[in-house]
Amino acid sequence: MAAISSSHRTRLAPPTQRRGETLLLLGPCALYLVVFSIFPLITSLVRSFQDYDPKGNTWTWIGTRNYAELFHAGQFWTVVENTVVLTAAGVAIQVVLGTALALFFSQQLRGATIVRGLLILPMLLTPIVVGLMWRALLNPEWGLLNWVAVKLGFGYIGWLSDPHVALWTLVLVDSWQWTPFVFVIVYARLQALPQDVFEAGSVDGASWFQRTTYLTLPLLAPAIVFAAVFRAIDAFRTFDLVWGLTNGGPVQATYTLSFQAFQNGFVFQRYGFASAISYVMVVTAAVGVTLLFRVVKVRRVEAPA
Amino acid sequence: MTAHRVGRVVSYVVMILIGVVAAAPFLYLLVLSFKSRIDILTVPPTLHFDWSQIKSNYGNVVHEQGYITYIENSAIVTGASTLIALALGVPAGYAFSRLHFRGSDTLASTILSFRFMPPVAVAIPIFLMIRYLGLVNGYLGLILPYVAFTLPLVVWIMIGFFDEIPHEIDEAAMVDGLTRPWVLLRVLLPLVRPGILVAATFGVIFIWNEFLVGLYIVNSQGHWTIPIAASSLLTVESPIDWNIAATVGILTVIPILVFSMLVQRYIVRGITAGAVR
Repeated sequence: MAAISSSHRTRLAPPTQRRGETLLLLGPCALYLVVFSIFPLITSLVRSFQDYDPKGNTWTWIGTRNYAELFHAGQFWTVVENTVVLTAAGVAIQVVLGTALALFFSQQLRGATIVRGLLILPMLLTPIVVGLMWRALLNPEWGLLNWVAVKLGFGYIGWLSDPHVALWTLVLVDSWQWTPFVFVIVYARLQALPQDVFEAGSVDGASWFQRTTYLTLPLLAPAIVFAAVFRAIDAFRTFDLVWGLTNGGPVQATYTLSFQAFQNGFVFQRYGFASAISYVMVVTAAVGVTLLFRVVKVRRVEAPA
Repeated sequence: MTAHRVGRVVSYVVMILIGVVAAAPFLYLLVLSFKSRIDILTVPPTLHFDWSQIKSNYGNVVHEQGYITYIENSAIVTGASTLIALALGVPAGYAFSRLHFRGSDTLASTILSFRFMPPVAVAIPIFLMIRYLGLVNGYLGLILPYVAFTLPLVVWIMIGFFDEIPHEIDEAAMVDGLTRPWVLLRVLLPLVRPGILVAATFGVIFIWNEFLVGLYIVNSQGHWTIPIAASSLLTVESPIDWNIAATVGILTVIPILVFSMLVQRYIVRGITAGAVR
């Protein structure tokens, strides 16, 4: 196919002109990203093998000592565990609820457009403000959610003060904000499915449950997987929500990798050590992105007609 | 028949509950922003509002806490970054959609993968770079990295929209003697207007909400963007004035909500871009 397209183009423009055009269209964008994304990313890698001295503003090469310190500290593995729990539990909940919502809204209901519109809202909100509003809702003295929990007989819950609960509170709030994302993607896919398959299914006497399990869900699978991987990469780097909701506490129970990197970089000015933490993240995210690009064909390579 | 009707009623109840869960935290914050410090302690909050209290909360935030300045900072940084990202990203999206050369797919994937880069991974080098350039505490210091963060998103969205336009349109224009850049400028830009609006919408939302890198780069209060200003309320050791904090929260998200309502139909298209095709 590529051969067809290039011979086609040759007829219209000579190769040198084509190269010039490509450069003109693509060059500025590529150059910008080299300077402001690739260069910083490489610098980060180099810095992760160095130690920064804020007093003299100097860098010393220390080899893999940052990484050694990181991997030998028990705290790091707790932070990894927190990040994995937040990512895995959050995405699992969001995929199940988001898909359920999409199936729910496939029925005709009056006013559904308004509710679907409301569902978009949480993911547009500034994460810092999401943290703020949930801190109010979960306030131990006057927060509305504890009042509801007590009324419903669950008793008082230390949403943000109990180290065993706080991480799950983050999962809860992340799911409140991002379940709609899964919903929007799965619902759009559902709307795009050919209706005749379902009609045939119901003519054959399949129940709603059978049709959902054997027809709808397999057809939705690509969208669900895409949404799940996309969300997982985003949840993996969660920072703002932690900052706004728990600030890592109580007693570091909700430290995520992003938060730990931030603390070491911004607060303690341990730029080298922070770079090592963030590089563990870069490598993990790169694996996730490779997975994502396998799942979704980002570009359709096709010859012009 | 009756079972069916019961099912319908249940569906409507569930739907209303979904709407309540989605909107309640925001409405709760709105209610808190109308209260006095003492009234916030009443659980559940009453729906009795006092106009003078509302005026005092919002007046305090706007006039005494300098929120006009933060909104202005955020608006300038967001607007400029989005425009620059579009100017760089739209031609790139066009090139990736039309020109296939050796390595073009790899290059496209690389650019797109930056969309998922953890910001902490580049925050320190970018901060050091901005400091080296002497741009700390200025608009440009924020605009430069924000353009880089927004570009992959713009390119991604634009590739999808350019792919939807038949290649015959380009070719007809080129037969008429236009070169690629002119085809883009004269012929295609009007046709991909929805795509540009989708890309702009997401650029604006992302930059308005950005917090981590902003925190590194801005350290003088006069240059705070609005998320940084909102976050400063959460860090103080003394008890938070919740009515003021709630007011700040509302003022932070109101511009983004109003903006989202104006561009409503582009939002869903943007979220599903790349997913559903």
